[in-house]
Amino acid sequence: MIQVRGLAKSFGDFTALKDLDMTVETGSVYGLIGVNGSGKTTLIRQLTGVLRPDAGSITIDGVPVYDDIDVKKRVGYVPDELFFMGNYSLNAMASFYRGLYKSWNEERFRAMTESFGLKPGQRLSRMSKGMQKQAAFILVMSAMPDYLILDEPIDGLDPIMRKKLWGYILGDVADRRLTVLISSHNLRELEGICDCIGIIKDKKLGFEGKLDELQNELSDMSLEEIFIYEMEGRNDE
Amino acid sequence: MFQLDLKSRKSIYEQIVDGCKEMIICGDLEPNEKLPSVREMSALLTVNPNTIQKAYSRLEQDGWIYTVTGRGAFVSEELHEPDTRQIESIFEQIGALMGQLRYLGVKGEEMIERLKKISEERGTAR
Repeated sequence: MIQVRGLAKSFGDFTALKDLDMTVETGSVYGLIGVNGSGKTTLIRQLTGVLRPDAGSITIDGVPVYDDIDVKKRVGYVPDELFFMGNYSLNAMASFYRGLYKSWNEERFRAMTESFGLKPGQRLSRMSKGMQKQAAFILVMSAMPDYLILDEPIDGLDPIMRKKLWGYILGDVADRRLTVLISSHNLRELEGICDCIGIIKDKKLGFEGKLDELQNELSDMSLEEIFIYEMEGRNDE
Repeated sequence: MFQLDLKSRKSIYEQIVDGCKEMIICGDLEPNEKLPSVREMSALLTVNPNTIQKAYSRLEQDGWIYTVTGRGAFVSEELHEPDTRQIESIFEQIGALMGQLRYLGVKGEEMIERLKKISEERGTAR
């Protein structure tokens, strides 16, 4: 379980997030949504221990994430903008990951590389953007993390790759209770995949809960309608 | 396998429940045939496995399927109770289609004749 309590983060005199609480249950697929610039990436960078919160706490299974190597090894992260080391190939990255993650699954690495049709010997810098994203997913999913954090991950992948990728991710959710946190603007796609959602509004989590309960309450609104309703509707009344 | 309609007013959970029912009604899934596992169905439809599990539980509750521990979910021999909600919803769909036929100039008697014929044809199938 990921627990965030009273989180605050400012950059200079700009307050990005304040007093944010969030709970992501183990085995759930949690959709984090919010308008552009609402602080989704700032929150995610703190969840992954890249950024340090100004105040509040973030724990994964009770352990604070910032500066904790053991927790970080259980978390797979695919950022919005990818970064690959120099002239590495997918194979070279795999041996790097293999040394880093005890849970590395070589069989899955081979199966995914083949299924996605990537050449493991090719330099990543020579690959197209979409292929680089596929490579990042292959590496993360082969590390068999307990938690998967995805920052607007799907853009740039074609529908066939997306379906394949979701097959792997949801398979892990079913088989070994992988916990997924995903931020995206593709609400149609999130609607089927997520069972929980959190909406960032006014620098904190304006809403958090089970998607099906929310849809029951709001007479089967789509996620898109719910989002607009939460951002505009509820406060105006 | 049925397709999900992400633009539909129906929730995904309901679409899965109704989709499975339709496959059973049409005979695509026969009595005692095994349904795809939650995991398989989740990958097939790209839907959260918890939602599939919920849909299967509902189908079991309503007597459409039964589960065998460790082996999966199977189609029931016959329904224990008629599903009035489903029946009403199908009649509504037929009503809407008949409205379209009327607009296209098909007379009431012809519709009834054709419906009888369809009913006879299907009656022998299942």
